[in-house]
This record gives sequence, structure tokens and C-alpha cells, in this order.
Amino acid sequence: MTLRPFALRSPTPMPGWGLSFGVMMTTLSVIVLVPMAALLWRGFIGFGPAEMWEVVNRPRVWSALALSFRAALIASVFNLVFGVALAWVLVRYRFPGKRIIDAAVDLPFALPTAVAGIALTAIYAPNGFFGAALDQAFGLKVAYTELGIWIALVFVGLPFVVRTVQPVIEEIDRETEEASATLGATRLRTLTHVVLPTLTPAALTGFALALARSVGEYGSVIFIAGNLPNVTEIAPLLIVIRLEEFDYDGAVAIAIAMLSISFTMLLVINLIQIMSRRRMGAV
Amino acid sequence: MNIEIEEISKEFGATAALHPVSLSIPSGTLVALLGPSGSGKTTLLRILGGLEFPTAGRVLFDGSDATGLTVQERRAGFVFQSYALFRHMTVFDNIAYGLRARPRKTRPPAAEIARRVTRLLDLIKLPDIGARYPSQLSGGQRQRVALARALAIEPRMLLLDEPFGALDAKVRRELRQGLRDIHDTTGLTTVFVTHDQEEAMELADLVVVMSMGRIEQVGKPEDIRARPKTAFVREFITS
Amino acid sequence: MTETTLPLRWRPATTEPALVRWGLTVLCLAVLGVLLFAPLIAVFAEALRDGVALAIASLSEPDARSAIRLTLLVAAVVVPLNAAFGIAAAWAITKFDWRGKPLVLTLIDLPFSVSPVVAGLMFVLLFGANSALGAWLVAHGYPIVFAVPGIMLATLFITFPFVARELIPVMLEQGRAEEEAALTLGATGWRMFFTVTLPNIRWALLYGVLLCNARAMGEFGAVAVVSGKIRGQTTTMPLMIEMFYNEYLSVAAFTMAALLALLAFVTLTLKTALEWRYADQLAANHRH
Ligand SMILES: Nc1ncnc2c1ncn2[C@@H]1O[C@H](COP(=O)(O)OP(=O)(O)OP(=O)(O)O)[C@@H](O)[C@H]1O
Ligand SMILES: [Mg+2]
Repeated sequence: MTLRPFALRSPTPMPGWGLSFGVMMTTLSVIVLVPMAALLWRGFIGFGPAEMWEVVNRPRVWSALALSFRAALIASVFNLVFGVALAWVLVRYRFPGKRIIDAAVDLPFALPTAVAGIALTAIYAPNGFFGAALDQAFGLKVAYTELGIWIALVFVGLPFVVRTVQPVIEEIDRETEEASATLGATRLRTLTHVVLPTLTPAALTGFALALARSVGEYGSVIFIAGNLPNVTEIAPLLIVIRLEEFDYDGAVAIAIAMLSISFTMLLVINLIQIMSRRRMGAV
Repeated sequence: MNIEIEEISKEFGATAALHPVSLSIPSGTLVALLGPSGSGKTTLLRILGGLEFPTAGRVLFDGSDATGLTVQERRAGFVFQSYALFRHMTVFDNIAYGLRARPRKTRPPAAEIARRVTRLLDLIKLPDIGARYPSQLSGGQRQRVALARALAIEPRMLLLDEPFGALDAKVRRELRQGLRDIHDTTGLTTVFVTHDQEEAMELADLVVVMSMGRIEQVGKPEDIRARPKTAFVREFITS
Repeated sequence: MTETTLPLRWRPATTEPALVRWGLTVLCLAVLGVLLFAPLIAVFAEALRDGVALAIASLSEPDARSAIRLTLLVAAVVVPLNAAFGIAAAWAITKFDWRGKPLVLTLIDLPFSVSPVVAGLMFVLLFGANSALGAWLVAHGYPIVFAVPGIMLATLFITFPFVARELIPVMLEQGRAEEEAALTLGATGWRMFFTVTLPNIRWALLYGVLLCNARAMGEFGAVAVVSGKIRGQTTTMPLMIEMFYNEYLSVAAFTMAALLALLAFVTLTLKTALEWRYADQLAANHRH
């Protein structure tokens, strides 16, 4: 349906426009827009860009930001690869207990992050079940190191790629895979040249969601991280610390830095995605 | 290449898609598998192409057992009913796909691949569409691209499942002649599936009438028309 | 007739070699075991380490009880509000054509890409004692931050997109024909909504409410920032877990965690039941 030029809304006999639009915009404003504006206002006008830069441009803040984004990227890349593989296994293979496993993939969505945090710490701590074993076998310390942060973020972002890619795998036209085989391609080549490209846009969507989620993650990370300044202190924790010191400006500056980097990243992923969709011809 | 089908049967769980069928296809023939829906045409074609494994029986290519050959080893040019073009590749890349998929030893150099793709685009009379994506083509164009893609691997035979099934009547007639021409220039043994008796009679050298997983009659179109062996065949070709 | 034995080399063109299939399946299950199932088991093992009696006793502490009460209260307020918002937004977005829809959709999704801590910070800035609005509210006896209303606002922000995101695709798919038919039959707006629309979206609505509730009861970061963590007053269950944990009250912390894990269990079970039973009435990406 196309809109007439300059009309806000095309005419329709459907009732409830005023009420639904009104409720939506009011709630959106009160819950999301005004608080968001308050943050930006405080940062750019109350405090000032130059001052914010000064707060951010310190080793402790830089290393916290770098850690947050690095760990989120690493965890999300892992989740991208593992998520595609798991989605493939869940759709294409048959094994006992498959439906339960499928349902369990959503556990990170349903389990509160604080629970995940203390649970992961309990097993990966030096005296925990896996923690002790890994330490003895490889001298590998998980909890209270960056590795622990990776694990917490993998946990948190696990379902995203699986759930975006799974429906696409279900929809794949098996005949294109067969066509590839009749043309002489090995199974591996079929997977890399025919199957994976069709999964790319959905996989990127899942990747972006997982990334956005894990960059800002707090609850599951702080228990396992050790929270050592400059080493295992994530950016959200630094915001909390600044708030506890009543340094609101400092907290705002770090928050705005995080938001800017996140949005830039999501924008880039979106562009890649638009390009890969356009290449498919079907917009 | 001649194809020998020996007592092939196929069961999907409890349903028997093919009761043992035997058929011998001389080299270079254009064969139509004709029959109503569910008669086992696609199943037989997919067994020839290596996409399905028979429950029992053997397939011989030029006298040697091909039953256990993988799809890749069969080198059958297969055209799917849905065409199964790769949506994320241009027409050029679709056609070049099979050549590029060859192991390095037998893979032609890029220039040679380009030359062959261009020649195939000429053969299907669509010389200018190499840069387009499948979504930017008409149904008839897609069908021809699928044919060119199958021909690119220099197949030992051509297998087509309802090649004109999804097209309107006018385009069907045009493409029918196109297939005949391509068959005559390449000389490939060609098997195509159809449920349209007029199409089978007009196009094929040899018509195989199937019903409920059995071959009812095999013969030249005029023989089948003149001397239908069973009541089913008589009914089916006059309808 | 000779039975043809399947040669080892031949396999359907759309499958991987058996070794690859098994290898990949085992690998995936192993990763899930280490990452998902082991922590879950650990929660219950740690909670019951000193026996069931002690675990249950830890829940009857006044602080624990008040945390449970507060969490239930927050969910009871936040979930219906977000359900109402979700229905209104889905209605405005799917039943009318208007300019700026993509922008509004993006704004609805915004909370997904904002760190919970930053979300909490926004409300502290807006309603904290050092903002004009906050100071005025405190002076008149309505503190928001470091009080229950702030917890509710922050939770509303975090769970904001949940219901709308479930309803919009379902209502888009269902189109407007049924409502239009009801209108031609003379139904009024509300009657049409309750007799035509709501029955069509009820399972999707329940699905959204379920996820919204799970997140509302489990939210940690945003609530941690706005709550002030006053024991017995502004401490929700997840915050209580942290306090117990930091005080080395391991059994109490893990028992509280086990309680929330049970909630996650219930959520997943109901959600899966919905997916199996009412797949056709949920958003397409939940059907498998
Ligand atoms: N993968 C499969 N699983 C189970 N049954 C199948 C499968 N493929 C085919 N069949 C059954 O085998 C029988 C023959 O099917 P086939 O596809 O060969 O028929 P067809 O002659 O090609 O029909 P149509 O003209 O409709 O394409 C049918 O009863 C069909 O239901
Ligand atoms: Mg068929």
C-alpha cells in the first residue's frame, strides 16, 4: 500500500489508531526516548565532548573498553561458527534426545544472568569441577581470567545465531544441494559454496544480536571475571564503579563511548548484510 | 552412452515407488518417461542420476555396472523441475560452477572456462545474460540456464525432470524445439520426464509409458499411438 | 531379484559422511554439556551441598523472603504493562500504514543493544537526587531511584521489546482481512479486538509474556544500578544472589539461584510446549 505524498497515514476504516498509536508513542517516549535523551544531554551538553574524551582517554578506561569489545567479538565469532554448526545438527541430523537439546538451547534466554554467573564460576573456579581439571591437565586458569569472560559471553550469546539460522536451514531447497552434487562438487564444496552463502545474512543477524548482547553484558561476567583493573575489568563494571563513587560524568562518558562503538559496529554489520542480501538478487 | 536398467525396484518405507522395471536405452536416444502423477518417473530418473539408491537391481552405463557410482562420478547433466539455480550466483557463475568444482588437475584455466560458458550461453540463445542473477530471469530463461549449467560439465547423459512443467503453453512449445536442437547437436543420450503425452509424442524418439511404478509400454511414438499394449496406455494417450 | 547391497561409498547427495555426522553431533553435544548443562547441575549441587533442610531454611530468612516478594511484585507490574504496550504497538504497526514505521521499529528494538548497566544509568541521571526532577520528586516523597519504582522503570526498559517483537510478525502474517470482515458485520472496535484479534494472537502473546517475565525476574545489571541494594527493601532475587555470594553464604546464594533456575525450567517447558502445540500461531522463526 502506498501513501499519498505528505499524508502521515493512509485512510482506513480500522478503529483504534489514536489509542494504539498514542499508547505506543507515550510509552516509547517515557521508557526509552527520554532516558536516552537524558544520557546524551548529560554527556554532550552537561559535561561536554572534550571533557568526555578526557575521561575516556585513560589507560584504565581504554583497557576496559578494549576488553569488553574484544571479549564480545571473540565470543560472538565462536557463537557464529558453533551456532551454524549446531543449527545444522539440530535440523539435519537425527539423534536421541534431539528435541530436548533443541529446547535447551534457549536456556541462556531464560536463565537469569546472575545465576549463570555464579554457576559458571562454581565449575570453572580453581577448586571447581572443570576448573581444577583444566588447571591440572594444562595449567589453564579459566575463572578470574579473560578466558572466563569469554566463556560467560559465549553462554549469554549462544542461542542467537542458532535461532536465526535454524529456520533458514529448514527452508533450504534440497534440490540446490543435489544440483551441486550432480555438477561434480564434493559435499564439502557444496556446503561452502552453496549452503553457507544462503545462510550468511541470517547468520550475520544472529551474530549482530549476540554481539550487541555480549558487549553490554554485566551479570554473568562480574562473578567469573575477577575484576582486576586493567586486566579483567569490563566497561560496564567500570560504569558501576564510577557511579558508586558518585562520579556521574565519568560514568556517562564511558557509557556514551560504549554506545558509540556498539552502534558503529552494528552499522557495519548491517551494511555487510545489505550487501550480501543484494547479491542474492532477492531484496 | 547407452543405459541399461536391470530389474530396478525402489521402496520408500512401505510404499513401493518402483516395482522391478527393466529398460534399455540406446546411445544418443531422446527418451520420454511418460505417466501420471506418482507413477515413479522422478524416482527412476533420480536413480539414473545417482540421487537415489535402488532397493534392488542394477544400472549399467555402456555395459559396466554403475549402480554404486556416486552422484559426482556419474557425470549426469541433471535439470531439476524447480531448476535449482544457485540464487547467490550470477548466471555466468552458475554455468561455470561444475567446471570450477573439478579437482585442480582436470580443471580448465579461467579463460577456458569463460570461453565455454560464453559458448553455452550462445547455445541456449541468451548471449547477454551472464551477469544477471537468477531472480532477474523469466521462467523460460531460467530453464535454459539450468540446461546450460548441466551441459557445462560435458555430461555423459542428460536427465531432465519435467523440464517445461512450470512454463506456460507458448514458452513450452518454443523450448521443446530448443531441447530437440540441443539434443541433436550434442548427440547426448537424453531422458526427460513428462506427464504431457503430446509433449512426449512430439519430442521423443522413444516413449516409456509408466503407471504405478511399472513400465506399461516402451516404443516409438507412432507405434504406441498405433498399437497401445494395455487399456491404461490407450486411455492415457488419448486423453 | 537380487537385493543390491548399499556400497559404502554411496550416500545421498544431501548428507555428510557418517563419520562427519557423528563427529559433529558429539562435538555439539559436548560443547552444550560443558557450557549449558554443567552450570545448571552445579547450581543445584551447590544449593543442596549441605542438605535440603539448610537450603530451604536459607529461603525463609527475612531478607530472602523480601527479595522474592519484590521480584514477584516487579514482574507483576512490569509484565502487564509491557503486554499492553506490545499489543498497542503491534496494532498501530500492523493495522495501519504510516510514515516513519521503520524508525519506530528501530526505537522499539533499541533496548536490545543498550547495556543493562547503561540503561540503569539513564534512570539514575533522570530521577537521581542530583537531577532537578529527581530532587523535586524526593522532596515530595516520591523517590524513584534507589527505590522500587526505579527498579520497575529499569526493568520496563530492559524488557521493552519482548512482547511487541512476538506480536508484530504474527499479526503481519495474519493480515487485516478478519478484522475488516468483523467491521463489515457491524462489530465495534473493542468487540472486534476481543472476539477476532485476541483469539488469533493469544499464543504469541503468551509466548512474549513468558520471555518478558523470565527477563523481568532475572534482570541484574540495570536493577543493580538503580536499586541502591538496600537489604530487605530494594533487593531483588538476582541482587540477593550477589549479596549472599559476596558474603560467602554459598548455600543461600545457590538456593536462590536454584529457585530462579526452576523458573527458567518452567519458562522453557511452557515455551517449548507452545512451539510444539501452536507452532502455526507463533512467529515463523519459532517453528521447528
Ligand atoms: N522421498 C520419498 N519418500 C517417500 N515416498 C516417496 C519419496 N519420493 C517418492 N515417493 C513416492 O513414490 C511414488 C512415486 O513418486 P515419483 O516422484 O517418482 O512420481 P512421479 O511419477 O515423478 O510423479 P509426479 O508426476 O507427481 O512428479 C509416489 O507414491 C511418491 O509418494
Ligand atoms: Mg516427478
